Amino acid sequence: MIQKGLLYLLVATVIPLVTWAQKPIFQLLPPDQTGITFKNEIIETETRNIMEYEYLYSGGGVAVGDLNNDGLDDLFFTSNLQENKLYLNLGNLKFKDITLPAGVAGRADAWKSGVSMADVNNDGLLDIFVCYMGKGDADKRRKQLFINQGNLTFKEQAKEYGLDDPSYSFQSAFFDYDHDGDLDLFLLNHSVGKYDNLELYKYRNDIDALAGNKLFENQNNHFVEVTPKAGIRQHSLTYGLGIVITDLNKDGWQDLYVTNDYNEPDYIYLNNQNGTFSEVSKKALRHMSQFSMGLDIADYNNDGWSDIVSLDMLPEENRRQKTLQLQENYESYELMLRQDLHRQFMRNMLQLNNGDGTFSEIAQTAGISNTDWSWSPLLADYDNDGYKDLFVSNGYLRDFTNKDFLKYWGDYKIRKAMDREPMQLMDLIKAIPSSRLPNYVFRNNHDLTFTNKQAEWGLTNPCVSNGAVYADLDNDGDLELVVNNINDPASIYQNLSRENNAGNYLQFKLQTSKSNRNALGARVTIYTKGSLQYQELMPVRGYLSSQPLTLHFGLGAHTHVDSVQIIWPDWSVEILRNVPANQRLMLEQKTFKPWTASAIKKSVFFEKVKPLITHTHQGYSENDFKRQPLMLSMYSQSGPVLARGDVNKDGLDDVFISGDQTNTGKILIQQKDGTFKAIENLVIGDETISAASAAVFFDANGDGYDDLYVAMGGYSLFEPNTASLQDLLYLNDGKGNFTLASLPSVNASSKSCVRVADYDLDGDWDLFVGGRVIPGKYPLSPSSYLLENNGKGEFTAHRFPVNGMITDAQWEDLDQDGRKDLIICGEFMPIKIFKNTPEGFTDQSPQYFSQEELGFWSSLLVTDLDHDGVKEIIAGNLGTNSQIKVSPEQPGELYYADFDKNGSIDPIFCFYMQNKSYPFVSRDELNDQIFPMRRKFISYKDYSEATIDRILSPEQLSSALKWTVTEARSVVFRRDQGQFKKEILPIQSQFAPVTQILSGDFSHHHQSDLLLLGNKSFNRLKLGTMDANYGCLLKAKGLGFEYVNQGESGLSVNGDVKSVVQLRVNNQNYLVIGAFDQPLQFYQLK
Amino acid sequence: MKHFLLLFFSTLSITWAQKPTPVQHLQPSVFAVTMVMIHDVVNPPAAARFYSYCLMGAQEFVSGQDKKIPSPTLIARDFKKPDLSSVKSYDYAMAATYCILETGRLILPSGYMLEEDEKKLVDAWIQEGKSQQTIEEAIAAAQVMAKHVISYSTTDQYNKLSTRLRYRPIKGDGYWYPTPPGYMEAIEPHWKTIRPFMMDSSSQFTPKRPVTFSRDSTSEFYKIAYEVYRAGSDLSPEQRAIASYWDCNPFAINTSGHMMIGFKKISPGGHWMNIASIATTQAKLSFNRSVLVLATTAMTLHDSFISCWDEKYRSNRIRPETYIQQRIDKTWQPLLQTPPFPEYTSGHSVASTAVAEVLTFFMGDHFAFTDNTEVIFDLPTRHFSSFRQAAEEAAISRLYGGIHYRDSIEYGQEQGRNIGKHAIAQVKKAGYR
Repeated sequence: MIQKGLLYLLVATVIPLVTWAQKPIFQLLPPDQTGITFKNEIIETETRNIMEYEYLYSGGGVAVGDLNNDGLDDLFFTSNLQENKLYLNLGNLKFKDITLPAGVAGRADAWKSGVSMADVNNDGLLDIFVCYMGKGDADKRRKQLFINQGNLTFKEQAKEYGLDDPSYSFQSAFFDYDHDGDLDLFLLNHSVGKYDNLELYKYRNDIDALAGNKLFENQNNHFVEVTPKAGIRQHSLTYGLGIVITDLNKDGWQDLYVTNDYNEPDYIYLNNQNGTFSEVSKKALRHMSQFSMGLDIADYNNDGWSDIVSLDMLPEENRRQKTLQLQENYESYELMLRQDLHRQFMRNMLQLNNGDGTFSEIAQTAGISNTDWSWSPLLADYDNDGYKDLFVSNGYLRDFTNKDFLKYWGDYKIRKAMDREPMQLMDLIKAIPSSRLPNYVFRNNHDLTFTNKQAEWGLTNPCVSNGAVYADLDNDGDLELVVNNINDPASIYQNLSRENNAGNYLQFKLQTSKSNRNALGARVTIYTKGSLQYQELMPVRGYLSSQPLTLHFGLGAHTHVDSVQIIWPDWSVEILRNVPANQRLMLEQKTFKPWTASAIKKSVFFEKVKPLITHTHQGYSENDFKRQPLMLSMYSQSGPVLARGDVNKDGLDDVFISGDQTNTGKILIQQKDGTFKAIENLVIGDETISAASAAVFFDANGDGYDDLYVAMGGYSLFEPNTASLQDLLYLNDGKGNFTLASLPSVNASSKSCVRVADYDLDGDWDLFVGGRVIPGKYPLSPSSYLLENNGKGEFTAHRFPVNGMITDAQWEDLDQDGRKDLIICGEFMPIKIFKNTPEGFTDQSPQYFSQEELGFWSSLLVTDLDHDGVKEIIAGNLGTNSQIKVSPEQPGELYYADFDKNGSIDPIFCFYMQNKSYPFVSRDELNDQIFPMRRKFISYKDYSEATIDRILSPEQLSSALKWTVTEARSVVFRRDQGQFKKEILPIQSQFAPVTQILSGDFSHHHQSDLLLLGNKSFNRLKLGTMDANYGCLLKAKGLGFEYVNQGESGLSVNGDVKSVVQLRVNNQNYLVIGAFDQPLQFYQLK
Repeated sequence: MKHFLLLFFSTLSITWAQKPTPVQHLQPSVFAVTMVMIHDVVNPPAAARFYSYCLMGAQEFVSGQDKKIPSPTLIARDFKKPDLSSVKSYDYAMAATYCILETGRLILPSGYMLEEDEKKLVDAWIQEGKSQQTIEEAIAAAQVMAKHVISYSTTDQYNKLSTRLRYRPIKGDGYWYPTPPGYMEAIEPHWKTIRPFMMDSSSQFTPKRPVTFSRDSTSEFYKIAYEVYRAGSDLSPEQRAIASYWDCNPFAINTSGHMMIGFKKISPGGHWMNIASIATTQAKLSFNRSVLVLATTAMTLHDSFISCWDEKYRSNRIRPETYIQQRIDKTWQPLLQTPPFPEYTSGHSVASTAVAEVLTFFMGDHFAFTDNTEVIFDLPTRHFSSFRQAAEEAAISRLYGGIHYRDSIEYGQEQGRNIGKHAIAQVKKAGYR
């Protein structure tokens, strides 16, 4: 039943949006106007400082809620060292401090942290629960539960409710974990000791009752701890900073996401529906933020699945990145992986929910990964356009991760001693610069990405900000922002969207009649013209804070909502139809129509099946940066290589699988019953001295049987012109015997691809072998070869006249002169087209491309996608989901030469950051590679301003060689009047590097779809693993493509894909995917 | 920077104020070089190399004037006489002193900081009444010599280090692995490729084989690890003081939450250079003798680190911290921060013992002295009855500090004694009487 709250009903405005974009959305209101003078004051002294207490700058929280049921949300602020403040909302954004009469100031001499509001005793009045941290007296850490007495006074009754727990708590969250109708409690805790020994993580099942998180079950208004029974970890390496409770897998039960600071991974606790939880973070996430801070989980792309934002510390600016400690230590990273701490990187993460239990981390594509030392993310629709935007609070009182401080502070101390002056701790502390930063706000672009609107939307005030809430404090239909600052008054940002006629809205205030009156855990979906928006009512979000109980939806131009689905906490479902916009619906649960979590069965195009060949690639752990420390990525990880052939001409597909350090390379013959049997006593390649990187079956000697060519690649410690890089040819006698045949020397470099064609039209098969890299000499151009066949499987090697690090090639007669031309792509290369003439190959790329398309190209497919008789080129690239951003206007550049003339190539990458090109390399890395640089830059600050023309002298710069890159996206080139015209593939294709491309009518609609596979996990730590691709199926739609979500495609591919073949077994078609360090993955095509 | 130095060193010699002698500028110049190395966080092997080159030119100047002082060209492999024809007359002691700073200025990462010390040295000379011409002549000579030394230094393979494969911890039990809190990459894995001064090769004084690794709690290895564990757990105040005194960790990282602070100390080589300064001052050695003692100390340190580092990356042995936490007590921590390189042999044991031999040779056994090197690092002064006693203490301090096993110390001392004796033989062979 809908009650139209008179107070809230506003007339829908139909005036279109005209000038609002120019006006700031947020206006900072001065304290004397709002009456909110609260300030979280941190005064540092000799006895109270960061050295004595690590969490001195961790900040305070905000809770918002209607404490007197007058329809206006009131505000509560925690103060770390002074009194908390409670402000009564008087309307019109005016507030009155009622802390004293209310009795909620808290213990003045104890460290107050997070706050949440909930109707704990279910009496219709919101109560306030305050958490305490601090190292000292346990009694000073006992939580406080302020029970609302109904007359704006409160009674502290934590002990009576069993909640006067003394653990080190940052935040609390009330929710119904066991679905029994009452509110239970999760306590987010944080160890006060820091343990640098990474190997202690193996003791994670030990219990530390003060540091470990806790779960309490509500038993008739008395809370009883059930932590161990519920399967919640409680060890002393708990460093919780964020908690959101949500239903991640949409089974109706409340799951938990907990962020952890330092090396402890984040936890995802999936509700087992029986009072216990399972921690699945490593299964669900490919990687996570390392120093994870605040957290929000909400559906930002309006697909009905909740996405995760966790914050970290990576700055946006070059200057700050160069002066701070970024991840560069491969020893500790390796140890982290060995200790099962998962892949963690220092930047914000946006985990896009794939709906199948996996997430694609795309913060960099989305544009929200770098917001400096950040605390509170809040996903909400601030401009009322129907999509949730993102607010991020940030700043730090003492910027002590500054490297100049780390390295040179010790000098100051020594000088003091030499001057015989005492060293005051405060001297040290005051020497640390403060990092006061404007908060970030990002507008949702409706296409999975965001745009930074800091300045345009009016968040220009630099301060040190921590906890924050959004709330419609003036009930005008838009969301104000309230931020708790250190040593500055709390910021109250009025939202002017409605005043500026920005967009329509709809709000929900939900009430149930029985227990859990405020309907925590309710889920609301609104549907408008084929699109939806989804929210869960769970106020604890962001950092140390508690959001309103009113759910706010922006509607853009929509003046009504077609329908609303509400799933109540007791799993009743209610549908409202045709709801007018611009009102706050006060809904009391009246219906009890049961809802059941429906497993929506969609058609699946690929079905993951039990592998028909059991084979697990054993990835050899190699670190190419030990050999050339300035490269961006490693080149050793080239396997497993797969190739398909029919070696015995029985009409059944056979397969070659390359070896690894523990298995030898082998050929498997398909038997009549569909099983595979390896050819006995056949060993192909020796992976202890070499690494297969490509292979192909073809009839080399014209006897009608498939022979096998294996190209050697990788990097490792291989030396050019040695057996490690010599390719292998095995001739097949048709009786199951493969014999190693001779090949000319093709060992000058590591190879990437082998492509077969009769280029000279003499009736035998010739080969192009692409050169990838010269091990130890990156990025010098490697050698590529043309292997000319004399018809007997005897080859002559010609150097192919191409300059660049080749990743892939395809033969195609583009000019239809009867001779196959060669299309080549590579890293820091344009797509090259070489015309095949009887006199040789000539570079005709300019005739096909109006401008050079310089990319990190990693794969090529040439096929006629639209069946018009003209072939398209599909080219896989790095994608947009990395710290590397390039465009023709802002190219990526790689300068290289032996700058210090000591016999090694020094590659220096430069990429644009905030419109200026800076070296990617850090000062330490550069000093370690080019010793004279140690004398060039005297401090990190000095280096932080440096561009390439300061690093290199004019002479060095002019003698340097250079590679350039201008396009990182994976694309299709379509023929347009002879030339190739670039079309960008859908954004999901850009989530990760694409290493394999297949086409076919996978979705059975008589058009050619594309399947992109990839990922790339062995990169500089500052880049981290690139692994958001789980198999990207693009369904052809006219001349474009539409991404098919993972649940529908059925694809959930693991790892860095190195090879894929299609196999036919027992009249079924299979995809066989070879990924590094993974078992072979089999998908059956439906 | 120098006024700190004066404050510090003026306590050592009260006679300075009365009558200026060239030797009074010697120790402060060496100390100025030390301060830049502290600033730059130069690692122990690299520090020894820098000291050697800084003093080599000074020794060459002195040997040109004093028959009793052998030329470094007769001691240091491949070092040739400089061409000093462009400079005519000059005060050799002034040139020698200036050459220390000038070489440091040219070779140290933050060498520019020594410009200030050079200026102060010139100011002091003016105060002493040296003529502008005398000063200019000395500087000109020093600059030619410094350039010559720098050019010699570029052939020692140092600049090739960055072309070599960085260290990868060897997989398997018993091998070194990076240690907390910084888990830093292993320092200078290819130091054995640097040209030694007096040794034939980096492996000339290969120490005895270390105790064989074993996980077995009845093994000898477990026993030596347990000794470190026990020692670290019941340190007497005196043992604790000894361990801290000889810590000499150029950069110990202290973490507190997200905060990291680097605490700096003088390197083991720097500590011994300063002891050599203190001793030569106390013995009132002449300028010429003092330069020889300092230069020989530096070259001995350099050879010691080459020999020691050669062994470290031969045996690649696990640190006590790693072993003890894995096998004995997961929460055990050494008193000192474990330095970032393999354990065997103890660098301090090798270098201290080698240098103590050299200093004993020059100044005699039973040379008692008070060492105040560590005062600026908030540590007290310590009195020693001889150089060998000081070296003994430096060696055993690594056991107390929890960063070395006993065999690493004892075999390291033996290795150091051999290097020291060899150095003495080389100096004698070069004509020192």
